[in-house]
Amino acid sequence: MNEIIRMNHILINQKANTWEEAIRLTGHPLVKSHAIDMEYVDNMVTSVKELGPYIVIMPHFALAHAAPGISVHQSEMSIATFPEGVCFDCDNDPVKVLICMACIDKTSHIDRLQKIANILMDETIIQRMCDCTSEQELYDIINTDGK
Amino acid sequence: MKHKIQTVCGFGCGSSLMLKMNVEAIAKKHGIEIDAFCGDVGTCCSNECDVIFISKELAERIAERTKVPLVVFNNFMDKKEVEEKSLAYFETIK
Repeated sequence: MNEIIRMNHILINQKANTWEEAIRLTGHPLVKSHAIDMEYVDNMVTSVKELGPYIVIMPHFALAHAAPGISVHQSEMSIATFPEGVCFDCDNDPVKVLICMACIDKTSHIDRLQKIANILMDETIIQRMCDCTSEQELYDIINTDGK
Repeated sequence: MKHKIQTVCGFGCGSSLMLKMNVEAIAKKHGIEIDAFCGDVGTCCSNECDVIFISKELAERIAERTKVPLVVFNNFMDKKEVEEKSLAYFETIK
């Protein structure tokens, strides 16, 4: 099966006091699996500092990413749920689901991002993701709904 | 003539891509021919296009530099918002 997000890149029931902490937490599994270097996590944080919270593209959902570059080894995504919400200082606060996206170029991830977009069109999706009690449950939502 | 729409985010490969997909779907639904492509906030003003579709936060950064109209979105994934604002724009260029 062609996974949209791998099991080891999924975190549920996370807590973060700041948006920066949330991005670092969500990005960590990608560092651990060597898809990215720590530098890319720093870049994702810097991009929000420089450009603002535009990554919160819909209520309660943020798509963190940085420019493709040498700190990315594989195009991968990670996801984390924050049922209590994290403040990004924007109209779509609080963020409850965060995806970190790493891409080696501007095209290799399009297919998977399209599938994520389809999943996000479901109005109940954020709640359903936050209600997941296991990583497996969230994995199934992403990789089944997204097909 | 096809309308050249540039969707813009920080790096031209994340949220702008999602917005592009949604705008393309709406154009298709309404039989409007468009040519959409992604751009990043740093270079978007020098890319040739008829209009820029962008998020509220980023729009403020380019508002003074851009030569083309901006269509500003709060929620890239809200079909209703994307449809309404896209169609409103298409109306103006008929």
